[in-house]
Amino acid sequence: MRSRGFGSFAAGALVAGAVLWSFATTDVELSRLLSAGPRIADFLGRMVPPDPTVMNEIVKGSAETLRIAILGSLGAVLLSVPLGILASETMVSPALYRPVRTLLAFIRAIPLILVAMLMVGAVGLGPLPGIIAVAFHATGMLAKFYAEAIDGVSRAPIAALESAGAGSLAQLRYAIWPQMAPVVARDTIFRFELNLRESLILGIVGAGGIGFYIQTYVRSFQYDKAASVTLAVIAMVIAIEAINVALRRRFA
Amino acid sequence: MSAAAQIGDLSFVHQGAGLPALDHVSLLVPAGESTALLGPSGAGKTTLLAVLDGRLRGWRGRVSVLGAPLHPDQAPPRGSRPDVGFVFQEFALVERATVLRNVLNGRLGRMSPLRAALGSPLPYDLEVARAALADCGIADLAERRVDSLSGGQRQRVAIARCLAQEPRLILADEPVSNLDPARAAEILTLLTGVARARGATVLFSSHQPDLARRFADRIVGMRDGRIAFDVAVGDLSDVAITDLYRETTALQVIGLRAVT
Ligand SMILES: Nc1ncnc2c1ncn2[C@@H]1O[C@H](COP(=O)(O)OP(=O)(O)O)[C@@H](O)[C@H]1O
Ligand SMILES: [Mg+2]
Repeated sequence: MRSRGFGSFAAGALVAGAVLWSFATTDVELSRLLSAGPRIADFLGRMVPPDPTVMNEIVKGSAETLRIAILGSLGAVLLSVPLGILASETMVSPALYRPVRTLLAFIRAIPLILVAMLMVGAVGLGPLPGIIAVAFHATGMLAKFYAEAIDGVSRAPIAALESAGAGSLAQLRYAIWPQMAPVVARDTIFRFELNLRESLILGIVGAGGIGFYIQTYVRSFQYDKAASVTLAVIAMVIAIEAINVALRRRFA
Repeated sequence: MSAAAQIGDLSFVHQGAGLPALDHVSLLVPAGESTALLGPSGAGKTTLLAVLDGRLRGWRGRVSVLGAPLHPDQAPPRGSRPDVGFVFQEFALVERATVLRNVLNGRLGRMSPLRAALGSPLPYDLEVARAALADCGIADLAERRVDSLSGGQRQRVAIARCLAQEPRLILADEPVSNLDPARAAEILTLLTGVARARGATVLFSSHQPDLARRFADRIVGMRDGRIAFDVAVGDLSDVAITDLYRETTALQVIGLRAVT
């Protein structure tokens, strides 16, 4: 009883302390906080009406984002096939799959935008660092999914084909792959959708794509143009979502 | 009387298990008949059938199937595998594939390895598969996906796949324990019927004495990895069955069954 009362008191004090500390250490003064509302309203006001003359930039930027997502996803698939096998409990020994799984968890823990910044530093501005960053970042998830697809294969139909005298290639073709293929296809499409969504903002750190224009227009106070690009990004996210829903139904 | 399978002094211990699953088993499975392996759960029925199907390594003893000796440490030659068909308790079908595709999988061992791995079935393979479907009463389900079928229909597909192998010995491991009683009787009628029509031997396991009595010519009682009795169905006494299913004593549970 007493210890529980003390526990909730301590938790309350901790939360209160954390909030006070946050106010004290950033420059969030009451006056700035109160003036933020009108300033955001003014900013939004300057975004309307969106400037439609940036259509060319939107098309160019979206095409580049799409290319980054496609090539980044391709790279991730190529990396994830061997790493997925090495991370599978049913294909390799624990001495191998445990460190590989740890490595994949480590890769997943690094945010894409951080990888992209590092790659811009390494190979320079443009879509190339974006492609490398997407391939690296997506592999952390995709290789794990592939390993799970391998481990999810039921042994029983394989034993049945072995019993019927089918060789290992025929077992792969008719018992293993039919079980894996829908899972692999679904996971790859899911990851491609994430890649496309996440690479929309890569341009902000100079790693190519439509995000570059948002950054450029905001920095040069052309908020109406930034608004057009932002609307285009929102439209694309909705379109990706719609396509994804349709594809998911197909693979159910 | 010729033998479809002959087992002499067969023993097997599963990896990590303390007690043997098969403990000096000797048995003769007569050709052209239907034999039931009857016994409580854990008796060793699945293990014995897997040895006969050539899927277990590391057993000791002498086993020969359809006249050819099995090797304890090597898979049987590929060419001999289709001669022995297997019907699994859990059907073991590729759920997302069609019924016809699953039945054609039974032909893979009869094709050349190259055709099985990379090619497509020959007209003859299709003909055998369609005949197997018709024999099992599911010709109209050929294009359906297995995951849309009921348990009874699934087991018919599994039997059709087994028949597509053109087997001379059919092993069936608890083929009806996942089905309701009406469906169970239907499936065993089908299995023993098609086997008789094709002159194939059947060895099926069951934990239900009534089904064994109704569908087998011979009944082999198994318990604790040993053969308890091996009799023609007319000679099976109720006492033998009661003894086969007697309560496991506390001593046996803790692994001291040799004391009894
Ligand atoms: N893969 C396995 N690993 C360890 N022990 C097993 C395994 N399979 C079966 N056994 C054991 O072997 C014995 C016989 O099992 P099984 O052949 O499945 O009997 P039944 O089919 O008659 O129920 C049981 O004691 C069971 O626990
Ligand atoms: Mg069993």
